[in-house]
Amino acid sequence: MHDFPPVVPDFQPSSSSADTARRRSSTRNFADPDTRSASRFLRWMLRQQASVLIASSFIALIQFLPGSIGPYLVGRAVDDGITPRNLSAVIDWSLILLGIIVLGAAAGVIRHSLIVRSWLVAMYGLTKLVTRKTTQMGHIQPQRIPTGEIISVSSSDSDQFGAISEVLTRAVGAGIAYLLVAGIILNTSVQLGVVVLIAAPLLVLFALPLLKPLERRQALERSTSSALTSMATDIVAGLRILRGIGGERTFARNYEVQSQTVRRSGVAAGTWQAAVDATGVLFAGLFLVTLTWLGARQVAAGDLTVGQLISFFGYALFMVWPIQTFFELAQKWVRCLVSARKTIAVLGQQPPWREPATPLQLPAGATIRDLETGFVGEPGLLTIVVSAVPDDSAALADRLGRYLPTETDPISLNIDERIKGKRARAERARQAEALARLVARDQAVTDRQWGVEVGPVDLADSAIQDVRRHILVSDTAGLVFAGTLQTAIDPHGQLSREQAEQALHTAAAEDVFEAMPGGWQGTIDERGRGLSGGQRQRLMLARAIAVDPQILVLVEPTSAVDAHTEALIAQRLTAHRAGRTTIVMSVSPLLLHYADRVALMSGGRVVDQGTHEELLERNPDYRQVVVRGMEEVVDV
Amino acid sequence: MSELKLADGSPQLSGSAETWRSGPAESRVPAALIPPTEGTIVSRLRAWKARHLLREQRARDFFASSRHPERGLPVAPRSAVIGFVKGLLGSRRALVVGVLLLNAAAAVAGLVVPRLLGALVDAVSGTGSVTATLNGLALAVAGVVLVQALMTFLARWISAVFGQDILASAREYVVRTVLGLPLGRVESASSGDLVTRVTRDVGTMSESVRYGLPEALIAAVTTVLTVVAMFLNSALLALPLVVVAPLLIISVRRYLLRAPMGYITEGGTYSQINTTLTETVEGARTVEALGLQRSRIERSDEDIAVSAQAERYTMALRNLLFAVIDLAYNSPLVLTLILGGYGYLNGWVTLGQITAATLYIQAVIEPLDRLIQNVDRLQVGIASTTRLLGIASVPQDREAGDELPRGDQIVAEDLRFAYREGHDVLHGVDLVLEPGERLAVVGPSGSGKSTLGRLLSGINGPRTGSVTVGNVDLTALPLDVLRTQVALVTQEHHVFVGTIRDNIVLARESSPDSTVIEALQAVDAWDWVQRLPERLDTMLGSGNLNLTPAQAQQIALARLVVADPHTLVLDEATSLIDPRTARHLEGSMAALLEGRAVVAIAHRLHTAHDADRIAVVIDGRIAELGSHDELVAANGEYARLWRAWTS
Repeated sequence: MHDFPPVVPDFQPSSSSADTARRRSSTRNFADPDTRSASRFLRWMLRQQASVLIASSFIALIQFLPGSIGPYLVGRAVDDGITPRNLSAVIDWSLILLGIIVLGAAAGVIRHSLIVRSWLVAMYGLTKLVTRKTTQMGHIQPQRIPTGEIISVSSSDSDQFGAISEVLTRAVGAGIAYLLVAGIILNTSVQLGVVVLIAAPLLVLFALPLLKPLERRQALERSTSSALTSMATDIVAGLRILRGIGGERTFARNYEVQSQTVRRSGVAAGTWQAAVDATGVLFAGLFLVTLTWLGARQVAAGDLTVGQLISFFGYALFMVWPIQTFFELAQKWVRCLVSARKTIAVLGQQPPWREPATPLQLPAGATIRDLETGFVGEPGLLTIVVSAVPDDSAALADRLGRYLPTETDPISLNIDERIKGKRARAERARQAEALARLVARDQAVTDRQWGVEVGPVDLADSAIQDVRRHILVSDTAGLVFAGTLQTAIDPHGQLSREQAEQALHTAAAEDVFEAMPGGWQGTIDERGRGLSGGQRQRLMLARAIAVDPQILVLVEPTSAVDAHTEALIAQRLTAHRAGRTTIVMSVSPLLLHYADRVALMSGGRVVDQGTHEELLERNPDYRQVVVRGMEEVVDV
Repeated sequence: MSELKLADGSPQLSGSAETWRSGPAESRVPAALIPPTEGTIVSRLRAWKARHLLREQRARDFFASSRHPERGLPVAPRSAVIGFVKGLLGSRRALVVGVLLLNAAAAVAGLVVPRLLGALVDAVSGTGSVTATLNGLALAVAGVVLVQALMTFLARWISAVFGQDILASAREYVVRTVLGLPLGRVESASSGDLVTRVTRDVGTMSESVRYGLPEALIAAVTTVLTVVAMFLNSALLALPLVVVAPLLIISVRRYLLRAPMGYITEGGTYSQINTTLTETVEGARTVEALGLQRSRIERSDEDIAVSAQAERYTMALRNLLFAVIDLAYNSPLVLTLILGGYGYLNGWVTLGQITAATLYIQAVIEPLDRLIQNVDRLQVGIASTTRLLGIASVPQDREAGDELPRGDQIVAEDLRFAYREGHDVLHGVDLVLEPGERLAVVGPSGSGKSTLGRLLSGINGPRTGSVTVGNVDLTALPLDVLRTQVALVTQEHHVFVGTIRDNIVLARESSPDSTVIEALQAVDAWDWVQRLPERLDTMLGSGNLNLTPAQAQQIALARLVVADPHTLVLDEATSLIDPRTARHLEGSMAALLEGRAVVAIAHRLHTAHDADRIAVVIDGRIAELGSHDELVAANGEYARLWRAWTS
């Protein structure tokens, strides 16, 4: 039987034919989720742990025995033992009751273990799937779906899939128990049995109209409260300013105003909750009274024994509960479908890369050439690209590395909770269409030749992994991951200490090492938080240098670094990469001095090439872009 | 190009060899936690027990380290929570009494019902009584049910009012303490710990205050009254409860002693899972570029494996609890039946009393269960509250005197400063800043120039020496005075959630609109602000009007215009902005700097070029000080750099 955490296979780096994928799914768990529709996905998820679910349903039945047939046993003890003053019969029936209680307690423990197991298999399984899908999709994933929504699939939607397996098995157990008790009571008294069977569902139904307004108020409470949380986060984020420049009173007051709004909406929701609870007490109480009154009359008439009447008290308490469970299942299922819809949007993405029929190797030591901009990077040289518009040179870097351009925002799949019915469907359709357009656009781009060649080979004719290994683009949005300083420089665990020291030295990042308690094993927080912008930038540079790729493309590698350090980096980087193709996007004169060649971009094209000195000499546009740093006077 | 001798060129790093680790990293799930695949049942059980104890130890360790984070803020002792709650309850005596009374009334009404049902049973089983008695009793029960429903409504309602009221006070108190954190602490601490506290810990505290506290109160009142009712019904038939009580108390106590640590550890593992995934998603491109797919997957799988261990621990705790309480809840019914049979035989109890007793026993399970659950929740809430109250225990780093500065001259003498004890980053810096002077500070990273800026702006006090303005120590000035003397301008231009006015009046909160408008005009922002439909009342910040980076920067500058300090310390102020923005902002910047002394911690040499004086800071000392021309003529570090820049 499945245990947690589940074993989840990786996705293939580029899309392979769907047929082989389907075949595999029958033999391996958590392979190839069915993303064709939300309900198919939900069923697929449940199938991943079918055996646990079946076992847990049956054990639920045993767990509910004390509640369901306990009242019957109590009634028999009264009728056969207490009323006729037969103590041994009392003891016999009591021992049977005890047996069932012990059995139920044991089943409770087993079922609890099974439930935790299936809950966590679903939750961990989904987190693993999202991680694997994200690494498979790479830079394309956050271009299609907002990062927050990808993360919430793992952190909150996954919980829904855990919950559904619990409710489902509980509902199956409760359903069987319901039928069992229905049989017993109809056998005892048709009149009372019918009353119980009709009244129990009605009680639940009557409470339903109150639930809608309650849910609305709870939704309002949630949204005002999350606004309050963002205000607190906002205050913390800007705390340096608030304590440095002032404004504590204003923002304390703003927070208090919102806090009081939350309090009021909380009281409103609490009042409705009180009404729902009170209604529940009222209905259940009246149900019990009716039952007792009818029963007592029957006892008085001699149609029913006292023990049977006492049993009915127990049934009345028990029978409301399976019905509530069915409603809970229905609600959970609907909520799960919403989660499933978001989940399939994430898991259903496929990498656009088409594996070439006969992938070509990118030749080492060859010229890299971009046909669109006319850029040429000569082998073994340091070429610096200068552009007055930083976006242009960043776009060129993306082209050189075969990264798809970001032209539009990712498609959010969240829908305002208040939108319902037809409008919600229309909104969902619109989102699905927008996402499909993004996918089609990416596909159209990747199906063509890419237009960047290394030697004679277009990047599209080589396998994407080969392109990534050959050409490393270190962009400005890069991330320093949490870990140790050692893993920040050497994430693959392949460097010798000397190589790592060399990389750190080349990026002039020794001060990061020295400031770090614990040296190489010093802790780096998530996203390099706690380091300065300049330190993060130099760590990323050191990491890129250490990879030692055939072609290294650096985008603004020293933008957050002071002039002293920038001068050091320029000199050391040039020495370190001597004889290797290096392309840098920058306008800094300190770097440009070291360039073997400089390319000037304008209007999305390379318009002039030469050495720094040549261009300074002959191109006034170049002078204007580069020398800005020397001539421009920020009035200090 | 000659070799720049700005730093030691050798890659020798002290401690490098000692701390470099070769070979794969140790797994975060020790082998001792992997169950054996074979062995007898006894040996497996023994192995399970060893694993359970190891997991308990891990939970204890995690809990201890989360109490006292290495780099975070302190944590208050549990006794502080009791004092805090006492204070909150003490100012709401009437409300507390109302909650208790109404809940008691609801519980009592609920407890009358089984008694009446018992009377009904006695009535029918005794003499085969008349229908009138039956009808009368049934009506009485119906009446009590109505009262019970009404009381339940009132009790729940007042509990909600009470819970929400307490919660609002508590979170407002927390935010006020955050806003009162000492300046030096705010500037040095990473905000992560604080963010966690105002989000997750406030959330946990909310849960337990809003639901846990009222529910636990209700459940406790109901449980106690139900037991009382049982004794009133029949002392004999209440005995079974007394028999199982010790069993219940022992196992629940055992559970409650361990559960909070288990759940806090579990929560910690989930935030770790989320943190790793967030990095993987946000850094998806970095992962792809560097081929880190496998290592990200392994890291995430290991997070999950650690989390699974925490889950196994709490699962075992619950199983141990459930096994006992399921028996303890249900077995009194069996004993009551046997005692009832024996008592009825001897004429000590009636059938009606037995009926009532069985109903009471079933009725006590629910509040008891709820009590246990909510005590659990309260404990987790207390743990969070200790972290929140810890914020208030950070000592203030300065004591304001009442002396006011006489003049605008800033004088620094013999400044030394260390972030870690024994590691001075400044080694005796002396500097006199004349009013209206422009001073540029240049130097390599880590040379201490940012630290110097923080001391000159009064964010931190020096370890030795002093920084004075008009002969008064900066750290002896009240904050609202300090802010009108010197201001530190960093790269951050955070836009707050609030109106444009709220975002600008910070330093002088009672400024009239005319001051705000003048400030906006000074930084060239009034043009776009006055075109907004709500002008100064326009809401900014996430979820509201989104500003361009240039507009955000203008807002930040306007704040300083309102603050109107005579000295500004600019730390890399324009270095991280898009060059186009920088150009656009030059006018706004010039307006702000006009007529003030400026210390510019410069990344770009053109900033230095036009300053009145340049200070070159190297290794915590001012190595060169003078005008651009003087330093170029002196042919030192600055001159070398300048040539590299311009040649």
